[in-house]
Amino acid sequence: MMIAGIDLGTTNSLIGVYESGFPTLLADSDGNRLTPSIVFYPEQENPLTGREALRHQAISPERTIVSVKRLMGRRLGELGTEFLHGKKGDAAALHVAGRVLTPEEVSSEILKKLKNIAETRLGCEVPKAVITVPAYFNDAQRAATRKAGEMAGFTVERIISEPTAAALAYGLDRLQDRSKIAVYDLGGGTFDVSILQLDNGVFQVLSTHGDTRLGGDDLDEEIAALIKRKTQVIPSSPQEDIRLLEMARSSKETLSTQESCTIRLPFLQEDKSIELTLTRAEIESVCAPIIRRTKMHCLKALEDAGVPLAELNEVILVGGSTRMPFVRNFVAEIFGKVPDLSQHPDEAVALGAIIQAAILEGTLRNVALLDVTPLSLGLETFGGLMNVIIPRNTSIPAKAGEMFTNAVAGQAGMKINVLQGERELASDNWLLGNFEIPFSPSAKGAARIGVQFSIDADGILQVLARDTKTGDEKILELTSAVEVSDEAVESMLAGSLEHALEDMDARIFTENRLKAEEMLPAVEAALVQLCNELSDEEIRQVRFYAGEVTSALESKETGRLKNALSILDNATQSLATRLIERAML
Amino acid sequence: MLSPIAPVGKVFRPDSGHRSFFMYDPFSLLGLERRPLLAEERIGNAYRQLAGTLHPDQPGGDTGAFRELGEAAATLSDPSRRLRALLGNPAYSSPRIPQQASDLFLKVAWILQHSDRLTEQYAAASTSLSKALLSAPVQSLFLELNATSTLLQEWRTTLDKELVQLDLSWPSHDPDCVLELADSLAYAIRWTAQLRERKLALQGIFS
Repeated sequence: MMIAGIDLGTTNSLIGVYESGFPTLLADSDGNRLTPSIVFYPEQENPLTGREALRHQAISPERTIVSVKRLMGRRLGELGTEFLHGKKGDAAALHVAGRVLTPEEVSSEILKKLKNIAETRLGCEVPKAVITVPAYFNDAQRAATRKAGEMAGFTVERIISEPTAAALAYGLDRLQDRSKIAVYDLGGGTFDVSILQLDNGVFQVLSTHGDTRLGGDDLDEEIAALIKRKTQVIPSSPQEDIRLLEMARSSKETLSTQESCTIRLPFLQEDKSIELTLTRAEIESVCAPIIRRTKMHCLKALEDAGVPLAELNEVILVGGSTRMPFVRNFVAEIFGKVPDLSQHPDEAVALGAIIQAAILEGTLRNVALLDVTPLSLGLETFGGLMNVIIPRNTSIPAKAGEMFTNAVAGQAGMKINVLQGERELASDNWLLGNFEIPFSPSAKGAARIGVQFSIDADGILQVLARDTKTGDEKILELTSAVEVSDEAVESMLAGSLEHALEDMDARIFTENRLKAEEMLPAVEAALVQLCNELSDEEIRQVRFYAGEVTSALESKETGRLKNALSILDNATQSLATRLIERAML
Repeated sequence: MLSPIAPVGKVFRPDSGHRSFFMYDPFSLLGLERRPLLAEERIGNAYRQLAGTLHPDQPGGDTGAFRELGEAAATLSDPSRRLRALLGNPAYSSPRIPQQASDLFLKVAWILQHSDRLTEQYAAASTSLSKALLSAPVQSLFLELNATSTLLQEWRTTLDKELVQLDLSWPSHDPDCVLELADSLAYAIRWTAQLRERKLALQGIFS
């Protein structure tokens, strides 16, 4: 019973199996173990995936889908990309070459490619798989990943967390150890940090934290923005944007080993070629704010695990972005120790998935992985509050229950909203689903409803509610939190085609108008607070630029408003710095 | 609308129908003695040893047994729930804030409210100037939060001393006092976690 292990990454994916006592990654016919997570949709024919799709990206970016992992299990209103249309709250769908695709469908193309690589290599069918996801993926994102696996023809035996998988890869040859480790995983699109306790072959996850929208992609965009600023180039087509992004990425990679590099983009625009020199220090200064955001997650994970820094034995780095020297130094600074670089940044997660597959196959004995649920699960109670039933970082499988009563007399039923997240207000958390449980009307506080949450080994939830008087019960199976009906897809398609273009300018103007309405009162407030520190000349200048914004707003010209805002933003940087310095005194 | 019955903690397992909460004793399940004080490390070690064999991925593993083990370890790791388990899990009475902590409760509530509002405003601010304008209020709230954390920590220390006393004289005890200590600990633990989260959120604004 062979089970494959798969790392379904934002930028690259890998597959492998456990062979004669070792986790082994499988390469395609050209010898590549990394398959780019890119899908290209031609006009008529079947989609192309991986390296074949990569070739088309520069020419037809509008038909090429990258980083689809960022959309898995997402609803609209949470994110913005040019591929997405529809109304807020709908599941994300992509519009490519006249087709409407769900992120699961696109992902399944990548998984099909991996399945094909494995089957070609092994000469047999590979029907089952363990797939990794970022530790901080919620229920909907995990369910979407499982569905993608099924669409690709796999029986998905387990969904496991990426940093946990990396810890398995690290710990496999240290099974006698008793130690506490941190895994810092900065990939192409997501960031996770997990704290684990290793104890004689038992890998217990103590805590996990992360950000599902923070990764190497964001760094590339900052570097591309830097290149644009330095060269004064304004891209006029998606192709130019892609070329700049590619250049940003390759210079980031080069500058991980060199101090400076020269970028050449011949004929980026008809009459314009780019040539400039970038230094490591320059890209570090634009990437630093993003990388610094990982610190808070690390501190939270340590706190949740109850592990003081002094007790931590090792910090393991995984994910392609941890190749940057700045990231390595920053991690050393956070944890107060030099990180362990023994794991291959691109391969450790896939190796861990293969190890978990071997545990499930029964070929690897005396190794147990105790994973956790990364986010608290609960339900909405009286007053719109989140009542946690299973706290975050609970080992799974898990089960917990709590007894509830009616808040209002004569109530004939209760609506149970099942939530996932850490916020105290129910509405700030992710709504997983809801259902009604009826009961005989009774005085306030007289009804007795038991609610039980069970999580299986994949972290997928089932909720049971029971009226203890009548014994009536209802079960909510949270199979997939995001399902789009065909009609919804049809109407999204129709709507998007009609309105896509005319909406564009209006939307950008509105965004900038809102920014102006925030900026102008902020300028006034800052001038009042800093009136004793600013020279008349400074005040005059800031007021002048603020006036430019006001008149641009009246003119209703998008370009002019955007420009005036950016000048005002620059002109008030020193005010912002002074306000922050004053607060710190 | 649903309304919780217990102020904190979990009181009931619906799958056990009308039976009381624990069908098993968490202490004996983990092979630990019934005492008010138990070192976190001992609970963790006992848990991992058993969990490694009971996990459903293991040959002979069992989902139900693994879940019970997890619940038992969670109960024993929380001193408040551990005390309740020692008393045989009495039903929760109506929520009440311990008297000596009523001032602290108001302070904590005030800080939670204000820090949530400030972090929200900060997240909504889209320009560096409007973010900078929030620095001063964030800084003063941060100082307030630290002061309250210190008070809370002092209260917790008092409670921990009571726990040590209780452990020394164990098994002799007054159930009402133990229950009061359990309630106080539950609040202290919850508020500490809430303040800690706000502190990290405010620190996130500075970095």
